[in-house]
Amino acid sequence: MIPGFTLELILYSTALGLVSIGLAGLVLSHHLFRIVLALVIAEAGANLMLVLAGYRWDAVAPILTTLGEQPQMVDPVPQAMVLTAIVIGVGIQALAVSILIRIRQRYHTLDRNEVAELMDAEIAATAGTARDVSQEAPLGERPIPPITDDAVQVRGGRS
Amino acid sequence: MNEHLVLTIALPLLGAFLLPIIMRSSLAMGVWIGPVILGYGCWILANLWLHGNEQPFSIAIGGFAPPLGINLYVDAMALLFAFATQLLGLIFWPFRLDQDTPKRQALMLLLVASSTGLALSGDLFNLYVFYELVAVSTFGLIAASSSSAAYVATIRYLILSGIGSVLTLFGIALIYAQTGTLNLAHLAQLAPDQLNNDLGLAAFLAILIGIGVKAELFPVNTWVPEVYATAASRLSAFLAGLVSKLSMLIILRLLLLIFHQPEATQVILILGILGVISGEFAAWRAKDMRRMLAFSSIGQLGVIFIAVALPDERGVLAVLALSLHHMLIKSGLFMLADHWGGSLERLRGIATTSPLAAGLFVLFALSLVGMPPLPGFWAKFTLITELAGQTDPLYMIGLLVFLLATVIEASYLFRVAAKMYQTKPTDIVRSNSPDSGSLSLTTASLFGAGLIAATVMVSPLGDGLQAIAVQAQDVDLYIQTVLQQPLGEGQ
Repeated sequence: MIPGFTLELILYSTALGLVSIGLAGLVLSHHLFRIVLALVIAEAGANLMLVLAGYRWDAVAPILTTLGEQPQMVDPVPQAMVLTAIVIGVGIQALAVSILIRIRQRYHTLDRNEVAELMDAEIAATAGTARDVSQEAPLGERPIPPITDDAVQVRGGRS
Repeated sequence: MNEHLVLTIALPLLGAFLLPIIMRSSLAMGVWIGPVILGYGCWILANLWLHGNEQPFSIAIGGFAPPLGINLYVDAMALLFAFATQLLGLIFWPFRLDQDTPKRQALMLLLVASSTGLALSGDLFNLYVFYELVAVSTFGLIAASSSSAAYVATIRYLILSGIGSVLTLFGIALIYAQTGTLNLAHLAQLAPDQLNNDLGLAAFLAILIGIGVKAELFPVNTWVPEVYATAASRLSAFLAGLVSKLSMLIILRLLLLIFHQPEATQVILILGILGVISGEFAAWRAKDMRRMLAFSSIGQLGVIFIAVALPDERGVLAVLALSLHHMLIKSGLFMLADHWGGSLERLRGIATTSPLAAGLFVLFALSLVGMPPLPGFWAKFTLITELAGQTDPLYMIGLLVFLLATVIEASYLFRVAAKMYQTKPTDIVRSNSPDSGSLSLTTASLFGAGLIAATVMVSPLGDGLQAIAVQAQDVDLYIQTVLQQPLGEGQ
């Protein structure tokens, strides 16, 4: 092993790395299912961080096997917490996937932007208002719409 | 008697578990379970409030004394918010009968139980678990309105909330790695030595952004307009009125007890200012009532964040006053939105057809803007005097932005009010269904009556809130109460 790179350092940077990869995936992905997967990765990182928080390198698992003299034990509290966090995480992921299935059934797409556009349109239709101009689509074919002949006439004609 | 308080969390959880089973066999019995449980919870809390000796106390769960065991910490502030949770849960109870009733009522019980837990818990990880429970039950309730837009709003909220919980968990791990404890009182004891550094600040920022998702903190509040526009109005009222305040309460507690770095309050102040600006301008542009209320709620929560950043107990007083005021007003306004529904254009001339509703809107709008006799004025006045007393220029910017926001707020609220009192109705507005329309109007009147009662009793209310603020600010009292307790008193 390269000197200076202890196992502890590697594990801590893995935890940070997993969270970073997850957050990057959340921002960069366009498919909603990939975004959920990115969330899973980020959660794994946070859980690893929590395990590391109470881990001792010179100790054994915190299970009472003999009475009397006990060897050094790992802190059991973070491990209990990680179990809770994993259970919560899995529950939320299952819920997310089930909602994704419903969205896919209704809108036939899981692209982040398309889905958001459809949702905006539906909210505006329910409320009975004209919807705001989409942030994604430009106003015309070109960023600056070409000057039409009518507009030219109104402005006093071409010189 | 004090230990009965645990029932306000335990009974709704039990009820949420049993409700779908009982409703399958007997619907007539099932529909009473939720209201009875919440009513009993209100009774317990009101009793504690009236007969308690005003001293905070702590309940050790399972008989393990803190810091080893998990405890509930009950002071006046926690009691107040727990009571508000149970009462609003009762007022916004989803009793509409259809095939989804058991699920919806079970989720609502779960939401009330976990919200009460948020108000009372004295353990950081326990808070995280309750926070996630709130999240999960909220997702279910939003999706329960079964429109496609609601599903999309749910998934987008879920993803944002997921980022929040990852960050919160990360922050908790950092704190545990540094101190080896998660009990808030124990942390408050250790914080000056061990968390008053960069690591503590990093942990605080992670938790702030994480919890801030539900408190509608500036960069992580994009879910607000979508969710409030697609979810049932009664749920939006509960989320905007209560859940956001509870998240704010956690941030306030953490700030008071553990994180004393000046950078922490600065970050909150800046994010609060940005929230005010973005929320109020977006509300000004909104064309339908629900989105207007959602954006205005972001702005109002930004104002409360500015108050959270204030240093002493006057700041806590401002937070409490603004929170309670916003809780009343926003719940009432969302009920009015439920009564009318839809675009602001349809409200033209509404005052001739439903004068009571229009009158209530004007009353709420006046108080939200801060008209002198109404409670909104006193809440805002406390904040302004406090902000003006600070020397840091950042607080001056906060004050300026706050005043600007008030002007914008007055502009869009009275634009709507003026529309209502135009003489020529262009279109007769129908509420979604005659039944739900009159019910939501009754609920809105209830909040209007509460507002007027608060106006009359503004001076005793102010004194009461002052006492609560002083108690909440007392860190030594918190540590003493939780850690000096003999083992096994909770049994």
